[in-house]
Amino acid sequence: MSTFWENIFKFRQKKVHEIDKILLKIPIFHDLNHSELRQIKDILHQREYNKHEVIFNQSDVGLGMYIIEKGTVNIVAEPESQLLAKLSEGDFFGELALLDDAPRSASAVTETPCTMLCFFKPELLDLIDRNPKLGSKVLFRLAWTIGERLKTTNEQIKELSSLTQQDQIVKEK
Amino acid sequence: MKNRRGYFIKISLFSIFALLSLSILAAVSTIVKLVIISALLAYVLDPVAKFLESRGMTRTSATVTIFLFIFAFAGVSYVIFLPLLSEEITALQRGFNPEQAGVMISRLENFLITNLAFLGVKDLHLLSRIQNDMAKAGDWIFTHFLDAASVITSMILIPFIVFFLMRDGREFKKAFVGIMPNRYFEFTLYLIYKLNTQIGNYLRGQLIDAAIVGIFSVFALWLLGVKYFFIIGVFAGLANLIPYFGPIIGAALAVLVSILQTGSFDMALYVIVAFTVIKFIDDFIIQPTVVAKSVHMHPLTVLLSVLIGGRVFGILGMLLSVPIVAFIKVVAHESIINYHRYGEV
Repeated sequence: MSTFWENIFKFRQKKVHEIDKILLKIPIFHDLNHSELRQIKDILHQREYNKHEVIFNQSDVGLGMYIIEKGTVNIVAEPESQLLAKLSEGDFFGELALLDDAPRSASAVTETPCTMLCFFKPELLDLIDRNPKLGSKVLFRLAWTIGERLKTTNEQIKELSSLTQQDQIVKEK
Repeated sequence: MKNRRGYFIKISLFSIFALLSLSILAAVSTIVKLVIISALLAYVLDPVAKFLESRGMTRTSATVTIFLFIFAFAGVSYVIFLPLLSEEITALQRGFNPEQAGVMISRLENFLITNLAFLGVKDLHLLSRIQNDMAKAGDWIFTHFLDAASVITSMILIPFIVFFLMRDGREFKKAFVGIMPNRYFEFTLYLIYKLNTQIGNYLRGQLIDAAIVGIFSVFALWLLGVKYFFIIGVFAGLANLIPYFGPIIGAALAVLVSILQTGSFDMALYVIVAFTVIKFIDDFIIQPTVVAKSVHMHPLTVLLSVLIGGRVFGILGMLLSVPIVAFIKVVAHESIINYHRYGEV
């Protein structure tokens, strides 16, 4: 019940400077000026989660990204509950849902009590409509971030395929 | 067992809460109607506010600009159209030209009596009935639309509510989503997003469509020289918001007035042709371009929704039946799709 009331009064408790610092570390927002950052903060949802609470389940409809303001979150692949990543303060996840309508590819579960900042697609689309300059800046940075992730994935695939090739060579020998 | 009891308590509490809310809403139905109308207006005006924001205005200054524009437009319309409108309504209240209408109606009455005598038709007293009904219609328009007290209350309250809904709508939405439990939070936002994309375009499209049909009707009736052309045209435009029945009601009123005005079917024939042409233009040009086909509903569902809406909530019910049923459909559809998660409560 306590998180329920915390969510209602959440914006009264916000620690503005701390949120600014966290947002500026996120690549999507890191080159925004003070007034642009304020506009972004206006459209973020701030929420409190208990320990071991599910943020979203794999295959749920996804609407946007989560930024960890405080706490630790585990990204888990079902059905074996395989731990894919352990994320902490300043990390973010789920940003692909800002662009596509595909269901969530993994579950997110809190490991400790968490405070999350949520940035969702309807608010992004609304922002593009009423402030195209800021909207395109965010979109460009979002594309850049996803591009970076793609590069990392490509590197990992390269490594994996070279490992597989080495394995095959070893087996052939 | 304990779980089932907890579930039962939750359901009971929710039912009591829903019943209480409904009874309170019913008790203040006039205010609820005002809020619904204001919310619709705010919703329709939202893209305009967004456009002004994209030109560098703040939300508040965008809202104020829209209001200034609306007030200026209303002022000009008041000066131009009010004398015309009040003249038409007073004439409508007094009833129709008795001599011409009398001739026409007695001719119709004789026709019915001679041809339908085998059905027991005699002494219809059509003239007195119709004159009575027309006077009643005038009174009805006065009591429902132009009653001084309600007009003043609505004219003050609606702009007031629309202003705050437009200016602070985002905060209201955020506060509403804020009270949702974490489990349903993202899904609630998703539902609002879906509703917005599916119903928003439909509503805006319908309103633009009604405005165009209204202008066409006023113009056509004015060209044909039909009396009360302004009121009937505006009525036909508004009626067009009601699927299927609306255009027929609008045309029927115009036909009736033209028959009573001239005492012959000649003008009525032209009126029918004019309304048919407008309907064709509406169906083949305006509707496909303006009204988004985003509310995927079977024609029978639309028809039944309009009938039930009209029965339960009157004209407002007929107007809002399609968006309300579409709303229920979207909520039910999305909830069933996501049942695996939300069904585990």
